[in-house]
Amino acid sequence: MEPAVQVENLVKRFGSFTAVDGVSFSVQRGEIFGILGPNGAGKTTTLEIVESLHKPTEGQASVLGLDVQANAAEVKARIGVQLQASAYYSYLNLREILALLGSFYPHKASPESLLDRVGLADKIKNRISELSGGQQQRFAVAASLVNNPEVVILDEPTTGLDPQARRNLWSLIQEVNQRGVTVLLTTHYMEEAEAICDRLAIMDHGKLLALDTPRNLINGLEASYTVKLTMEKPMTEAQLKSLNGGVDVVHSGEQLGGDGVDNTYLLRLANSPSALKSMLDEISKAGLGLENLQVTPVTLEDVFLELTGSEFRD
Amino acid sequence: MMARNRQAIFWALFFPIMLVVVFGLFNFNGVGVAGVAVVDESGGPRAELFRERLEEIEFLQLEFDEISPTQAREKVIDGNLGYLIIIPDLFDNPSEQEAQTHEPAPVALVYSTRNPDRNQLVDGAVRNLVSDIHSAGAPVVPSRLLTADVIQVPEVDYFDNVLLGLLGLGIMTNSIISIAVRISTFRNQAILKRLLVTPLSIWKFFAAEITAHVLLALVQAGIILAVGVFVFGGKVHGNLLWVFCITALGSVVFLNIGFILSAWAKSPAAASGMGNVVAFPMMFLAGTFFSTAALPWILPQVSLVLPLTPMLEALRDVAIDREPIWDIWPHLAALGGWVLATSVVAVKVFKFR
Repeated sequence: MEPAVQVENLVKRFGSFTAVDGVSFSVQRGEIFGILGPNGAGKTTTLEIVESLHKPTEGQASVLGLDVQANAAEVKARIGVQLQASAYYSYLNLREILALLGSFYPHKASPESLLDRVGLADKIKNRISELSGGQQQRFAVAASLVNNPEVVILDEPTTGLDPQARRNLWSLIQEVNQRGVTVLLTTHYMEEAEAICDRLAIMDHGKLLALDTPRNLINGLEASYTVKLTMEKPMTEAQLKSLNGGVDVVHSGEQLGGDGVDNTYLLRLANSPSALKSMLDEISKAGLGLENLQVTPVTLEDVFLELTGSEFRD
Repeated sequence: MMARNRQAIFWALFFPIMLVVVFGLFNFNGVGVAGVAVVDESGGPRAELFRERLEEIEFLQLEFDEISPTQAREKVIDGNLGYLIIIPDLFDNPSEQEAQTHEPAPVALVYSTRNPDRNQLVDGAVRNLVSDIHSAGAPVVPSRLLTADVIQVPEVDYFDNVLLGLLGLGIMTNSIISIAVRISTFRNQAILKRLLVTPLSIWKFFAAEITAHVLLALVQAGIILAVGVFVFGGKVHGNLLWVFCITALGSVVFLNIGFILSAWAKSPAAASGMGNVVAFPMMFLAGTFFSTAALPWILPQVSLVLPLTPMLEALRDVAIDREPIWDIWPHLAALGGWVLATSVVAVKVFKFR
């Protein structure tokens, strides 16, 4: 069976600006595939090529085995789309909007069942403006399901939502996926990518940097833990080096910046019980006063840092 | 869907009503200055004196020095000339006439039924003048000095003309501005983009928007005519069905212009401004309220290439002059050409985002 979505050597230039620079990936049927990257990474442009809103400068995109440029109408009929910033007619209620959108498709789901699925059954007569941010995003997901699509494409579905509403939407997306719908989404939340995506493509500056399951991406890092040390006094370069029985020093105090963090250091440690112990031994041996110590497992944020050499720009 | 935008509907319907009311309150039927042509068949000194005295009357303006009685009569019928005065051959030499009839030859005054108030005034003034001139000779019977030749024309006053101008104006302004603002709003809110990811074809979207707005235009037309006729006593003589057909055709042209403007407008407010910039000059140049013949410079020629001009001419020909629809085909062809041209440009320049 053909992959749900396949893009090959995709390039999109707007004038002299290259938004997407040679991206290739394929989304298997039934998975939740995420594209993670900061704003301006080229995620939305990539999706919009798949949705046939943009023509690629080079390369090609296909959905369910159909070239999107050659079969735009059929592709549009078989996918569901939630755009990053799109409004709906403000003079119609939810049921009417879904009925109107449904009328554009050969197969359509009933507005009642769609609203029921996203937990908005009691808002059927309300207008968009009467919904909370989280409800609006859930409605946008419902609207993307109006044609019983085989693939749904969600562009930053949880941006701007509070943590509660975000988690709520995650379970909705997972539920949609469990019914057999392939999900392709973008996000700039590391946590979200880690929580719901089966596989993840990391993009920055129009390029695909890595593609794997979130677990494999994290395991791919040599380090397993991040250690944040706050010392009584600043350490010398030599002292810092001697501590680092693990992997590397990520930040010195200056880089972390801010008030009263001059003596704070971020280190990564390999996944061995001895690494932490030897670091603490070194500290007491050198007689360095330790004010605070935080040990956290590495996350996608560290993966991103490793891949791009810079912090994630939210 | 459009019906839910109550505020837009309110303004769409309020604006034309306001216009009709404002213009209805003006007194367009005041006497003003009446155009008069004099055909002098006598050529004698008494006739010359008569002409001079005629010129002294304030509300008469002598026009058309060289004109035949038949031509002048045509102009009176068409409404391009107020009055025609024919001084008879024997005006200067009544004795010869009097030898046979004991009375001087009567002056003929030709006018139409268009302006009854003014007719009375002019008839009286001319009659007095003729009597004055003749009584210098011998006593005369004033009633026999002037024959009035009154031509019956359908009752048309300036307000009827303006009412159709308002109809065209209302449809033009609302069609251009409302669609430009609406589409611009849809684009700004990415509603158009949302439609673009569905299989809805572009032409269906256009057709749906145009159908809805043409229906609104017909309702507007109905309101303008109803207020004009029932409240202000305007009259529509011709076939109303054709009036509505012309309205629909004209509305499509202006909707297309609105689509074109929306392609350039960056925001709904800009779209509204652009719509006004296009609609406002057209209102004056196409003869909505005043005849374009009175326009200075090359503006009468400019008027001919504006889409509102054939729409108004078609409306007036059908509604006032009761012309059958097939007789006004040049206006309809011009409107049809505009529909075609604006459709091509609209589809070419239209942007979904």
